[in-house]
Amino acid sequence: MSVIPVRAARETIGDQRRRTSRHGGLLEREGFLAYLFMMPGGLILLLFMAYPFFLGIYLSMTDKLVGFPEFSFVGLYNFRYLLQQDSVFRQTVANTFVYAFFTVPFKLVFGLGLALLLNQSFRFSRVVRAGLLLPWIVPTAISSLGWLMIFYPVLSPISWVLKDWGLIDSNVNFLGSRFNAMASLCLANIWRGIPFFGVSILAGLQAVPTDLHEAAALDGASPWQRFLAVTLPVIRNIVLITTLFSIIWTFADFQLIYVLTKGGPANTTHVFGTYAWQVGMGGTGDLGGAAAISLYMFPILAVFAVILLRYVRSED
Amino acid sequence: MTDDRVNQLIREATRLRYSRRGVVKRAAALGLSGSALSAALAGAGHAAAAPSRAPARQTSGKLAILANSYFVPAGQEHFLAEAQRWGQENGVEVTADFVSYPDLQAKIGAAVSGNNGPDIIEMWDTWPSLYYQSMVEVNDLAAAAADAKGGYFDWVAPTAAVDGQWYSVPTGFSSSAWAYRISHFEEAGVVDAANNFPKTWDEVFAVGKNLKAMGKPIGQAFGHSLGDPPNFCYSYMWAHGAMEVEEDGKTVAFNKPEFVAGMEKFIQGYKDGFDETGLAWDDAVNNRAFLADEISATINGSSIYLTAQKDMAEKPNEAVVDPADITHGAYPAGPAGQFAIVGSRSYGIMKYTKNLEAAKAFMAWWTAPEQFQPWLESQGGYIVAPQTGYADLPIYVGDPKLKPYIDIIAYGRNKGYAGPSDIKAARVYSDYIVVDAFSKAIQSGDAKGSVEQAAQQLDRIYRR
Repeated sequence: MSVIPVRAARETIGDQRRRTSRHGGLLEREGFLAYLFMMPGGLILLLFMAYPFFLGIYLSMTDKLVGFPEFSFVGLYNFRYLLQQDSVFRQTVANTFVYAFFTVPFKLVFGLGLALLLNQSFRFSRVVRAGLLLPWIVPTAISSLGWLMIFYPVLSPISWVLKDWGLIDSNVNFLGSRFNAMASLCLANIWRGIPFFGVSILAGLQAVPTDLHEAAALDGASPWQRFLAVTLPVIRNIVLITTLFSIIWTFADFQLIYVLTKGGPANTTHVFGTYAWQVGMGGTGDLGGAAAISLYMFPILAVFAVILLRYVRSED
Repeated sequence: MTDDRVNQLIREATRLRYSRRGVVKRAAALGLSGSALSAALAGAGHAAAAPSRAPARQTSGKLAILANSYFVPAGQEHFLAEAQRWGQENGVEVTADFVSYPDLQAKIGAAVSGNNGPDIIEMWDTWPSLYYQSMVEVNDLAAAAADAKGGYFDWVAPTAAVDGQWYSVPTGFSSSAWAYRISHFEEAGVVDAANNFPKTWDEVFAVGKNLKAMGKPIGQAFGHSLGDPPNFCYSYMWAHGAMEVEEDGKTVAFNKPEFVAGMEKFIQGYKDGFDETGLAWDDAVNNRAFLADEISATINGSSIYLTAQKDMAEKPNEAVVDPADITHGAYPAGPAGQFAIVGSRSYGIMKYTKNLEAAKAFMAWWTAPEQFQPWLESQGGYIVAPQTGYADLPIYVGDPKLKPYIDIIAYGRNKGYAGPSDIKAARVYSDYIVVDAFSKAIQSGDAKGSVEQAAQQLDRIYRR
């Protein structure tokens, strides 16, 4: 291996640069290069997000059924039908709001508490922090099956233990009544969502300068005051962004509900995703109707996304 | 007049490829004379000898089959082994996927939309009317399978053919009946319980009350599941004078005062006699609950009984329920009579297949009696054969406890009855409109409101 003296090497690189700038000036321009680097991502987005999105908009304005090649353009009929005539859809909208806005505050509070706890250093704190992520890492379809076993109508371990202790006579009706089914779903959703809040907020907490805390403590601030005046302002934005993300994801949930109730009993746990699936894929294959159901989510989620993006920008 | 009926029969027989026996039966049903029958037989081409079998075909390549996962696992093993044996003998690489049936339709939808997927797909009743445009017309295969064993029963064509054309070959009906525990029913005060399942819905509710007091209620699924919940709800609906639609296929006939009264009775009967977690049950829960001695009675295929027999034979120490204590009863009657769902499952060849020859050859081979009968037998009578000629097999008549699974054919109706079993009936079925009327009534206690709301939904589907 030959060793090139440093100066010679610099000259070589300099020569190359001059050559590129002469022949390939485009690559030197930051603007062009940025777009070049963005292209693979952009293509993927175009192919897997934009195309299905616009296809969805197109389908939502047709009466396309799976298996029937002919279909016609029906304008906004599907949207009007859902809003004016489909009682299941109205119920679905209500269910989705309940599901999202009931679970997120719990996830936030528990996640915040967990983050504060884990921010203390103790033995095995790193292991515990990694373990905390488990509910988040395990594929939802699998963890939902675990919940299905817990909530199983006749063979639920909870029911069996309570019956064995003589506390109840008949099985707990976890998924078989409107209120219980929604509560059970929320519980499983909260369990799954806490780690996301916990870990995100934990990252924020580690950015809180310790000297500020020490200064506040010296000035006689109580732990609660220190939390409000020192910690909270620093993690405020991260909490906000995490919350918005969580709302968006919970709105668009599918797997947990599909595994546990399939939208039953009597449609009291349908959310946009599961109802669209039932209409579009589960049965007759009414793709137009299903696309319209999914698209109703769009304006609602767009509002949250805009708020989110604004905050991210103001962070910058 | 007779001429009209003869001509009508000839048209029907040609369209649906009735066997000789099928024509004779229809002629009898229409009340035709002997000479008219001869004319009909001649017109339908049955004067000639039995149709020749399809010639052997050259096959190669791959063949993918998508089917419902079997409720009797031995049947699935049998089918897979046989299909692969055929593949080896004919130089075709055969694969089969078995999925649970809430997922089956999603897979079919994806295959049909993408014009790519399994070559042969199993369909439940009403489904051929959804996908026939993507399926190969198989009138010859269906006719050959029918003729080989005495023709199809009357309930087969209306639930598996589309407008008189076969796009799939019928493979039979997952029959259902009430499975119940003899000892529990005796304890609940039923005399000679082994032979005396309640004959009316009122009697079912009365026994249910005692059973629930004993801690062994009736168990019935009312969740979003395509098997047991519709079996209960359609039977109860028809027995109380309501139906999705009149014979014209347009006039919704669901919101009937007698049905609202029936629904009120049901709400009370459910509270008094049923396991109230039933709203969350799917098709599998009642099997498990029954075999764990949690419930006394449920509507199901013969799979509970067959599993109990298997468990008792293979691991007698672990079996909770003795199959000797299980028997079956017919659907009870209501004010309007006795009803239940019947409908044939079938296997269709998809238009996009790249191996049509092999697919047709496989279907012809499998539905021929030499293969089909062992396949039926591997499921111990769980599937009621679509051809009349299998009716005397020991799997159907050998065990008197299984008789209700055959008897159902006498009073069974297609989904969508009194209308046709068409795409609209399929939609009502897969949107759980009838089932949700029941589960809503249970939850709200409002019989009238639940029936009215479902009637509105039906109206929108049938008016479209």
